Amino acid sequence: MSTERWKDDEALLGSLRKGAPGAVDELLRLYQGKIFNLAMSILKNESDAEEAAQDVFMTVIRKADTFQGNSAFYSWIYRICVNTCLMRLRGRRRKETVSIEEFMPVFTDEGMHASPMDDWSKEVERDALNEELGKMIRKFTGELSEKYRVVFVLSDVEGLSNEETAKILGLTVPAIKSRLHRARLYLRERLSRYLREGKAG
Amino acid sequence: MLADYFDGSMDPRLREELDDHLSRCEPCTAFTKTFRATCEGTRKLREVIEHAIPPDVRERLETFVRSAALKYPEKVKEYRDQVERDRREKVADLVRAATAGKLSSATALLMESHCAACTECRKYFDALRNTGTPRAGDPPAGIRSHVIALMQALPPGEEFFLA
Repeated sequence: MSTERWKDDEALLGSLRKGAPGAVDELLRLYQGKIFNLAMSILKNESDAEEAAQDVFMTVIRKADTFQGNSAFYSWIYRICVNTCLMRLRGRRRKETVSIEEFMPVFTDEGMHASPMDDWSKEVERDALNEELGKMIRKFTGELSEKYRVVFVLSDVEGLSNEETAKILGLTVPAIKSRLHRARLYLRERLSRYLREGKAG
Repeated sequence: MLADYFDGSMDPRLREELDDHLSRCEPCTAFTKTFRATCEGTRKLREVIEHAIPPDVRERLETFVRSAALKYPEKVKEYRDQVERDRREKVADLVRAATAGKLSSATALLMESHCAACTECRKYFDALRNTGTPRAGDPPAGIRSHVIALMQALPPGEEFFLA
């Protein structure tokens, strides 16, 4: 994570603790987009995510005083968000998710890729497709099961290190690495199929 | 294994071999290129996502959090008072246990080594043990702060007195 973010966080935490005016505004400015999106990607429902975000910010404000500082401030906030969302998910009927296995690479007996392998990496550098790619990534990520989704969002979308994600979720680093890799493989395959169908149709 | 290749933690020799294969195999080249493009696409998503909160949600969230935060200073005071009360009780418990010789072995050891170095605490606790009854009220501020430090030196979850 960039040093700039560290400094911002440090200053923010200090002013939150003092109850300085503007501290809450700064907290919202820096984190409301991130928290809302993280909540959205776990809960996949706007009103749930909104309520979860409210809870998260109240918890952060209330507990800023007792925050131990043995992890980074941002990862503490993410942890609060993940816990809040998972608590909300509990007891709620799980929405349909796709099976990740269906999108894992398959090899033929000769060790070749079984599915057609087009190189679309140059195509997505064009701006129009770029925006669409973003939309599709969000859509396809949303269809992943929670187990992979949360890891993917924290690590790849939010850009946390594997160690930080592991700490937030209470998992080991190898577990994070494996889930993350599978999520990326899934996403690549889904994008491939999507682009291939687009071309055919 | 592929994950190691992409995050750069793969053994260099193995990596070289894989690179060599990739340079000659079209489907594998397509695979790695599109895999990287996928990751790149996600990284770009990060930049737009911060602004992706719907305006009405943003507004409600801000109003809610700001108004709730106004009540915050009183809550903090309440919380700090509670912490202070808890701490006072704990100090009193420890002093009582020390007087009655009921400290846990770890605490007794800490206490002993501290008192060997600190005249103030040694005098205070010796006097208590001689009279056999804890004095009413809190210990003097200096001793109090030493006792608190002592409690904090205990491993988390460790009780400081014997059951």
